[in-house]
Amino acid sequence: MMKRFGLLAAPFLLASCGMPGTGGADEAKSGDGTDTIELAEFPDRPYWGDTHLHTDVSVDAFGFGVRLGAEDALKFARGEEVIATTGTAARLDRPLDFLVIADHSDAMGATRRLYDAPRMMVRDPTLRRWRDMMHESPDQSTRAVAELITAAANDEIPEALRDPERQAKATRDLWNRHLALLDRYNDPGTFTAFAGFEWTLMPGGNNLHRVVMFRDGSAKTGEVVPYPGLDGDVSGLWDYMEAYEEKTSGKVLAIPHNSNLSNGMMFELIGPDGGPMSAEYARRRAAREPVVEVTQIKGDSETHSFLSPNDEFAGFGDAGWDLGNLPLTAKTTPDMFAGSYVRSALLRGLTLEQRLGANPYAFGLIGSTDSHTALATADEDNFFGKHTGNEPKSDRAMLPQNLGTRQGRFGWHYLASGYAAAWARGNTRAEIFDAFMRREVYATTGSRMVVRLFAGFDFSESDWEGDWVRAGYTRGVPMGGDLVDAGKAPVFLVSALKDPDGANLDRVQIVKGWLDADGTQREKVYNIAWSGREGASADALPPVGDTVDRAQASYANSIGAAELRATWTDPDYRAGQRAFYYVRVLEIPTPNWVLFDAKRFGLKLPSEVVEASVTQERAYSSPVWLRPRKTPGDAPPIMK
Amino acid sequence: MIRKALRDPLAHFLIAGAVIWGLIALRGEPVDPADRTIVLSREEQAALALGFERTMGRPPTDAELAAQVDRWVREEILYREALRLGLDQGDPAVRRRLAAKMDELAGAEVETSSPSEEVLRQWHSANADRFGGGGEVTFEQLYFDNQTAALGASGDQEPSGMAISLPGGMDGVTIDEVSRVFGTQFVGEISQLPVSDEWQGPLPSGFGWHLVRLTKRSGVATQPFESVRDKVEADWRNGTLANRRAEAFRLLREAYSVEIE
Repeated sequence: MMKRFGLLAAPFLLASCGMPGTGGADEAKSGDGTDTIELAEFPDRPYWGDTHLHTDVSVDAFGFGVRLGAEDALKFARGEEVIATTGTAARLDRPLDFLVIADHSDAMGATRRLYDAPRMMVRDPTLRRWRDMMHESPDQSTRAVAELITAAANDEIPEALRDPERQAKATRDLWNRHLALLDRYNDPGTFTAFAGFEWTLMPGGNNLHRVVMFRDGSAKTGEVVPYPGLDGDVSGLWDYMEAYEEKTSGKVLAIPHNSNLSNGMMFELIGPDGGPMSAEYARRRAAREPVVEVTQIKGDSETHSFLSPNDEFAGFGDAGWDLGNLPLTAKTTPDMFAGSYVRSALLRGLTLEQRLGANPYAFGLIGSTDSHTALATADEDNFFGKHTGNEPKSDRAMLPQNLGTRQGRFGWHYLASGYAAAWARGNTRAEIFDAFMRREVYATTGSRMVVRLFAGFDFSESDWEGDWVRAGYTRGVPMGGDLVDAGKAPVFLVSALKDPDGANLDRVQIVKGWLDADGTQREKVYNIAWSGREGASADALPPVGDTVDRAQASYANSIGAAELRATWTDPDYRAGQRAFYYVRVLEIPTPNWVLFDAKRFGLKLPSEVVEASVTQERAYSSPVWLRPRKTPGDAPPIMK
Repeated sequence: MIRKALRDPLAHFLIAGAVIWGLIALRGEPVDPADRTIVLSREEQAALALGFERTMGRPPTDAELAAQVDRWVREEILYREALRLGLDQGDPAVRRRLAAKMDELAGAEVETSSPSEEVLRQWHSANADRFGGGGEVTFEQLYFDNQTAALGASGDQEPSGMAISLPGGMDGVTIDEVSRVFGTQFVGEISQLPVSDEWQGPLPSGFGWHLVRLTKRSGVATQPFESVRDKVEADWRNGTLANRRAEAFRLLREAYSVEIE
């Protein structure tokens, strides 16, 4: 009976949407933006965006209380003021250039429909209880969603919420309206609104989530509906993506994230069936997943101190998150770390490529928020939290935040992070999407540093005197590119410019990973440029200092540099070596959102929380890979 | 004798009691049992239902409305008892809330009125700068990492700056675009600068110091009324509200003499 009368049925869906669609009127807005604006010769600036934002049709976000939808999210991202669900006026200091609204495809809009459905129509006892809890109070609503997430993690979601066929029908109308809205807000040259969704595969609570991002407007994206993930496996997602491209000649990519909560499953050395990884799997993964999200509100996945004991800046944003998987239903053990963090995944990619001829983990790096408030905030002094339950309020820093259990994750473990920067020739769907495909992107923890990386074989210090960007593009490859071994050490041009409204820079580093002659994975962090500290050696660079006034949540740019540049030649190059190189830029220490909260609300925080809340914001570039001469490259094509 | 009696704590208590009694009597607070009767009118119930509908996007069920009413009654009882105990006195939150209510009263009419087309068109043309791209500028800049070097170079015929990965100039770009590259501090400075073929400054930015040659500042390109009507209305409302509040406050303020010791 319940099956017939799903609460996901269309009538409720219609009732739950206020906005009639009006898309398709303007070709420039509804397409991929090709030929709509004048493009620069080379990518001339980073475009800033968030690829991972949830609104009120995400099954968990609504339950957590958010009442802001896609339109509010778009307005906010482009710099307008909106009223947050909890009643505060919210506005970004600086607008974003692009946005991917990535609501969960599973049961998209369903909590909202469940909430709106008349009680007598909800027959399933679990669903009825959740509905009642959502109506009871915000606390109970949050508890209902925690139960829902745990149920999803344990594969116990009620039948009525998971049937893909019924869900697809219910989602269709919602999706079409959403696409029309995106087209209305998409404005080539000014603001790009991407279609996307989050695919929420989570076997046993281990986070294998991907954000799926489309290059196209509603004419093509309207041919499909978001693909549900709870029951599937990743090859099903790739099938869906391939089918979309075949059917529409459009383009779509997927972005894995929160590998830190995957208990080692995100970047495995074996195949998904437990047997050896096949070359076919590696090739498909590389083609479908050109970038990963390395930093976001639920922690940072660059590397863990356990994996990189010689890296004094390892472990940023790991505290709390490294205890277990997403719902903390399974603890993390150290043997799992290598499959959970990005640097070790890049290393594993080298190993797999040597073995299979294809590298499944040759990805670029971005940051995004994963905010469930419809507000894409990553600024420390303007942080609206992970979900509506922790929008600004006095006790949010110290509340347990572990989805209903009490095992050691607290509000202060959340990061006000991060954003994605895309080097593109203009602000259109096509240009920014293509930057993602060629991995010419980088991650920051929220600060808007401008980071350039070029790799070649004949760069020299004198290139800085001329048009070094042109030199970079014409005589080398930018971040995300591949170099083929030329029998000599690669040379890198690296420039990092501070956020004009942010903190000065401490240092620029190159992180190199490579395989020894015997195949052993190695990694090393090189300091290649730093502020002040005359006479210091790269191997023993003292800390930059600390100007943070903890009580006032302020700092001074009296230390650090506005820009750091370096021409760097790899001192550990060996002919035939497989290697990757990425840039990490560190700002001087600054107060994070917890200290701003403490000042705003007059909080007394434990001293270990205060100390953990002074951090060095950072940027991670996409790597450049060095490949032996004879191996055919399997990574996505790089820009010529 | 009287003076001595006045030093007696008991006398203090009696006098204070009389004063409080007098005050209460003066304010006409009823002490009869009617004070403990609470009436929730049909209109007030409708208001509760409407509040619910505004938040949830649908009317409440009977049970939900009953819950709203229960909550209202509970709050009303606690509120009256709090007043009886004088808990509203010396509470900064109450003070702020009542002050805010006065402000709201002053602007209430504006909140609900719908301005005529003509009013809005006038507002649009009178505040044209708020409905445009903010104007465009063309400038060159030279960078210095310290003020002394910048000052030193500012006297040179052909000054030269220090290396940094910032454009040496921008041509016909909006202020927003300048802000994105050079930051908000720089934009604040360059907005004050007169157009000239000479090097001016140094101006501070988030990066350091800049000599600037601002060769062009185009008139503000205002978007036509039709395309920004909603924006104009919101702006009119905000602007008018602020003016009304200021005016209302001015009238009240004139009746007070304030001494800050």
